[in-house]
Amino acid sequence: MNSLLTFADVEFSYPHRRLFHALDAEIPADACIALVGPNGSGKTTLLRLAAGSLRPARGDVRLRGESIASLSQRAIARSIALVPQNVEVSFPFTVQQFIEQGRTPYLKLFGGLSPADRHAVEHAMALTDTHSLRSRVFNELSGGERQRVKIALGLAQQPALLLLDEPMQHLDIGRQLELIGLIKRLRRHGIAILASMHDLTLIEEAFSFVWMLAPGQELVIGSPHEVLRPELIGRVFDCPPQRGPMLLKPAANRSERIRV
Amino acid sequence: MAGKIEPMRPAALARALFARRSGYEMLLAAFALALLLGVAVAACLGAVPIPLRNVAATLLGGHALTSDQNLILLNIRLPRILAAIMAGSALSVSGLLFQGLFRNPLADPYVIGSSGGAVLGAAVGIFLFPQLSIAGFSATAFLGVLGAICSISLVYALASVNGRTPVVALLLAGFAVSTMLSYCSYFLEIMDHDFGTGLRVLTSWLRGTMAQPTWPQIAVMACMVLVGMGASLPLTRKLNTLALGEEYAAHLGLHLQQTRIAVIVVGSLLTAVAVALGGLISFVGLIVPHMMRMILGPDHVRLLPATALAGGIFLLVADTAARTMIAPSELPVGVLTAFIGGPFFLYLLRQAKKEVFA
Repeated sequence: MNSLLTFADVEFSYPHRRLFHALDAEIPADACIALVGPNGSGKTTLLRLAAGSLRPARGDVRLRGESIASLSQRAIARSIALVPQNVEVSFPFTVQQFIEQGRTPYLKLFGGLSPADRHAVEHAMALTDTHSLRSRVFNELSGGERQRVKIALGLAQQPALLLLDEPMQHLDIGRQLELIGLIKRLRRHGIAILASMHDLTLIEEAFSFVWMLAPGQELVIGSPHEVLRPELIGRVFDCPPQRGPMLLKPAANRSERIRV
Repeated sequence: MAGKIEPMRPAALARALFARRSGYEMLLAAFALALLLGVAVAACLGAVPIPLRNVAATLLGGHALTSDQNLILLNIRLPRILAAIMAGSALSVSGLLFQGLFRNPLADPYVIGSSGGAVLGAAVGIFLFPQLSIAGFSATAFLGVLGAICSISLVYALASVNGRTPVVALLLAGFAVSTMLSYCSYFLEIMDHDFGTGLRVLTSWLRGTMAQPTWPQIAVMACMVLVGMGASLPLTRKLNTLALGEEYAAHLGLHLQQTRIAVIVVGSLLTAVAVALGGLISFVGLIVPHMMRMILGPDHVRLLPATALAGGIFLLVADTAARTMIAPSELPVGVLTAFIGGPFFLYLLRQAKKEVFA
């Protein structure tokens, strides 16, 4: 079995809200998983548990069989990159300086970026097509550019697993499709992806699995076809199936519609 | 907008120029040269003018001066010059560190009360434990560092909200703490019964007058400055990472608590050195890092050496002006930096207006 990250019997609660009771799931090394669920169902929390920034109350999150609790955050960050939803940078750092921060888990106390570090940064910029943005100021980028640059920082960490928190948020349809293209490209490079997604229509294009979170229920795991069924979506998202999202048409039509 | 070509602003032009390694190294070399030149010129100026070529000859080992001039140069002017350079450097670098930590360009050792803490700590040492010394250092120096650490930790705890320090909260907390500290110092002054040297020292600190240190004092201070600068070096990269926000930085493997403590200790050490040399000198830690950021961009690693050099030059020029402008009497350099820095601070505040008045 080739499991990159495993949630084993994970329990996690916030002071007044229990989110996960006994979460069991695993991310295979080449998976591309969309994490869906209604607001407040714990998508971001699950990503933070996967990144080691939150620790489960019970149970274990394991990276290649090793408990994340036993690893240093530096070690985790060399295998898992979390791309947060909102990033606010104090001071006008350029895109290149921003992406270079992805090398933080590799740097020693003294000394700057090594040639290997620079190569990783260049490679991350090439994959995300952000070379042309390198001397722009991060805070002045548009939403779509910002998203690509954030992903580039994650890729500079040379991770085996990339965690994306709502990567499609505030993007227009053109930028969304651009990002879907990027996710497909990353899949071809063998990087596993777990992305929380609001827009269910875009999932089938790029993702091989869907995890559906619902408050107080077991995590539903399956292929997009299996999980994104009208009645299930209707139940989990509490919306009438007939007025649900448009993804419920036959798959062949949809991919034609979306392909550009 | 169509057809209109924006002229490149000078700051943007400078950033493009110094973005290259060679440009950056040239800038540092130019600063170093300017500092040397500044030392030479400042050594000539004063109540007793000394010709430049005689200064140069003496420093290179000759005997071109009369014994009076020699005395003035070696025992009065050079120590004062070195004190100004070290204080300016230390203040600017601690300003840079605090701005990175607070993620706020308005953080200055004076504004946020760390200078006030150092004065109070040192005043406690002078008035209450004048004879005490720890490992050869007088308690005064030690208590000065401690006072700076305590006051900035207090301001940080008061002003930070989820790891960010909003401008208003920072300024108010800094104002309240530094006001309390200044008046505590006055209180100590009243408690003092022999109205002796302690009072004079405190008064000159509160005004921001450059001290006339002895050579052994200079050696001790120089060691502290070097230690502080050396310790800042690994911290600058961490401050770059911290600029992404605390949560993101922690995810990338930065130890937040360690970094915060290290920055506060190193910044306070530098503040305390500056206070010991020149008392409450306002706004230097604000102006110099800001100007360097304008021409070099926000990378703290590159800013550190440039800020250290420029801070030395800035305060040397300011202090030389302060002691020669109305010769034979002299102005406290703190008065001069307040005149220059006050409007500058207001300008920066106006830049941050959106955040302040939102």
